[in-house]
Amino acid sequence: MKEKVSFRLNGRAISVELDREMKLLELLREELNLTGTKCGCDNGVCGACTVILNGKAVKSCVTSSKKLEGADVLTIEGLSVSAVHPIQQALVDSGSVQCGFCTPGIVMELHALFTANPGAEDAEIMKVLDRHLCRCTGYEAILEGAKVARSLVSALLKR
Amino acid sequence: MDCLYVGKDFQRPDAILKAQGKSVFLDDIRLPGMLYAEILRPEYAHAKIISIDTSAAEACPGVVAVVTGASCSYIYGDNIADQIPMAVDKVRHIGEAVAAVIAESTHQAREAIKHIVVQYEPLPVQVDALDSMRPGAVLIHEKNGEYWHLPAIHPVPGTNIAGHYRLKKGDFEQALAEADFVIEEEFNYPLISCAAIETHGAIVWFQNDGTIECWSNSQCPFIIRDELAHAYQVPSAAVRVRVPEIGGSFGYKSDITIEHTVAWIASHAKGRPVKWVASRKADLESTLLGRGIRTRMKIAARKDGKFLGIQVRSYHSTGAYADTGVNVSHAAGHNATGPYVFDHCDLQSFTVYTNTPPVGACRGYGHPEGQFAVERLIDMLARKMGMDPFDLREMNYIGPGSVNALGEKMYVANGSVRNCAEKVRKALSASPKPAEDERFFYGRGFAANMKSPKGAPFQTKGCILKRNKDGSVTVTIGGLEVGQGLRTVVQQVAGEALQVPPHKVRVNFEVDTLNSPYEWQTIGSMFTTMGGRAIVRAANRVIAILKKNASYALRCDEDFIGYDGQWLFVLSDPDCRIAVNDVALGYMFPDGVTMGELAQATSDARLPRYSGFDENGQGGAGVSYTFGAQGCDLRIEKSTGKVTIDHFVSCFDVGKVINPRQIRGQVTGGVLMGIGASLYEKLEIGPDGKITNPHFGKYHLPTASEAPRLSTIEFVETPDVVGPYGARGVGEHPVLGAAPSILNAVYDAIGIEFTDIPVTPTRILAALKLKGNGK
Repeated sequence: MKEKVSFRLNGRAISVELDREMKLLELLREELNLTGTKCGCDNGVCGACTVILNGKAVKSCVTSSKKLEGADVLTIEGLSVSAVHPIQQALVDSGSVQCGFCTPGIVMELHALFTANPGAEDAEIMKVLDRHLCRCTGYEAILEGAKVARSLVSALLKR
Repeated sequence: MDCLYVGKDFQRPDAILKAQGKSVFLDDIRLPGMLYAEILRPEYAHAKIISIDTSAAEACPGVVAVVTGASCSYIYGDNIADQIPMAVDKVRHIGEAVAAVIAESTHQAREAIKHIVVQYEPLPVQVDALDSMRPGAVLIHEKNGEYWHLPAIHPVPGTNIAGHYRLKKGDFEQALAEADFVIEEEFNYPLISCAAIETHGAIVWFQNDGTIECWSNSQCPFIIRDELAHAYQVPSAAVRVRVPEIGGSFGYKSDITIEHTVAWIASHAKGRPVKWVASRKADLESTLLGRGIRTRMKIAARKDGKFLGIQVRSYHSTGAYADTGVNVSHAAGHNATGPYVFDHCDLQSFTVYTNTPPVGACRGYGHPEGQFAVERLIDMLARKMGMDPFDLREMNYIGPGSVNALGEKMYVANGSVRNCAEKVRKALSASPKPAEDERFFYGRGFAANMKSPKGAPFQTKGCILKRNKDGSVTVTIGGLEVGQGLRTVVQQVAGEALQVPPHKVRVNFEVDTLNSPYEWQTIGSMFTTMGGRAIVRAANRVIAILKKNASYALRCDEDFIGYDGQWLFVLSDPDCRIAVNDVALGYMFPDGVTMGELAQATSDARLPRYSGFDENGQGGAGVSYTFGAQGCDLRIEKSTGKVTIDHFVSCFDVGKVINPRQIRGQVTGGVLMGIGASLYEKLEIGPDGKITNPHFGKYHLPTASEAPRLSTIEFVETPDVVGPYGARGVGEHPVLGAAPSILNAVYDAIGIEFTDIPVTPTRILAALKLKGNGK
């Protein structure tokens, strides 16, 4: 029995037909070919699959596609249309990108955080980054990059 | 040495695409007509396969083929040919491939695999080397000893010992006779996973013209090429292995791992590409694990502090196949001395088959295991002797003129462990250790370290370098970027050698055995050393070509021509010059006649005089060492037993820092991986061989808040003679000192001698309780 689900994806209205239960990550990667969202653990721990659902950062590998009706979904592709987003630039400049597999998820997490709270405290940044696993960097550069991203985003908002 | 570009920060060329999610990793590849495989794993870690019924699975929707190993007749392995692509008549570990389904979608393959029915006859299970070595243990490989193996490997037929390595230097009995103090203890570094965030995966496509296309997120495409060619009896040139972006490795994507299994599966669907990507569970259970080494160590010392001899028996639970683990055991043997001089060494390591997933490379490759032991034992010895552990080490550091366990003489150019240790001591002692308070115990610990490379007879690294006519440079390498920053190193070293800005150097992202120069494997922290040297060699060849081309224009012999990146000029009359751009394709005379050669060159570089072992287990298996030292300040919460690393200090003699930001990132990452093993990570394997924590929910990787609150990272720069501009490798080294320095600090804090890891809060609380009871 096919089920039609309509939602907004990266600013555009979209309808998909689901013939079975499917996590949002599988829908994005396998059905919609949006491969920027990564699968690292498939049980909601590592954060590589993080996307923004109705303004909140969620782990798409444990998010049911059936819940998407009327929702607004933003993926890394939505932030990477052309120019480099300030959060991406800050992470690049700070040396946060090594293998890069965890990076898109972290970009989305920080985007959700700074959209909701542009002046997020350091402790708040640490709290959201704790939802992500990075095996390469030891996190020092990511924390530094996140703080730079916060100031870049705040500066943009003030303009 | 003054450098233009080496020693400065440059942005990684792949960073923006990665941050935008636009880089192509293995699972992002989509090919026309692609099929998907799912692999069935056994119910038992050791069992005979009685029967496999695939009929129900074959009838499932979308299924193209169901594959078993019944008809598979080939075995493989680079060191010991003991591996099989899929179980034939028995399974030896819980992650072994028993059967597979190929289907039109992953979902269909996963549904169909549930319908394969296998009957097993369970066999006794041995998950620890010591259990597998005891008399009467069940043989995991009945043919142990009969498999082809490299001459340096010594299996013991009729036992589970796949390799017995013995290093003899001097006479350990003499050391015992002369010793005033002897100390002995056993240490255990358990099985862990490299746990890159990207799991293993491969695509294999048997094409109808007889060629084989393969994509894999592997560090050894050329080994895969040659292995597949050999197994499927086609020329190496008919196999093309391509490597897209790799989402981290830390070792377990080196050596051939899953590719033979995927190829065996794909050979049942010829004409169409077949993809398999590991789930996290499959990645933890069926690829390669790391460590798994028990080290029994004895040190003999004179009362003035001089170390006399060391004896090591290292027991490696190498897993069900030893091809990828046997050299780890070797490295654990001859590197267990740490950076110290022992005139008398009796080092033995046993590579032992166990019913656990096979062990392979894991950041440090045998070194963290043996040096965990030696650095803990030296602290214990110092207490026994009433000496300061730092001073005791300082009396025994290896240095210029001394000879290591392998029999290699050390020179100034090998670097200085002493200088690294001094920097770490200074950084730690800059602030006093806090006194115990109501909430916390505080401890400080130290460990020195040493890492040799891992090589092989054909361990060379190739380079193709082109100086284009617009001033840009193209470098093609066979080295794999796994996150370590190799591409930036290529840009900076090529830029330095050719005197062009690094951003003008384009380096290939995809490595492809058809188009890239040969590289054995990108392992052992050796790319900067050997790959960098290859780039310098190629650049020098290109400059020689440019000078020859310029000689036509300047009407001057080549050896009187200078080069500065932009111009070629007569040394005695620099105003007489021609632009490099104008001779990059040869030199065209005013009448249009052109002479000369293209400004492009190939090269390769290997470690000089790298060798195997002689009858005493010695030889030139080290050549290039990086020495270092690490230490930490930590606190232990009394109520929870939780350890927090307040300050972690690292210093390595890297010869020359190529990129300060990148090298810091390597060290912070490596240190945290070492902290993970020390405090959190262990693959829990039951007596039945089943892994009870095969996912990140229970196998805990350290998170941002568990990283050291402060990291001090320093470098000593004693130039090396092999690496470019004096540089030597550092990728694995930051892991080495974490476990011993943390456990030394835990002793310092609470007076409890832990000899195995991870030291979890539960263990700390239990030990404190025992101690409190006066036991």
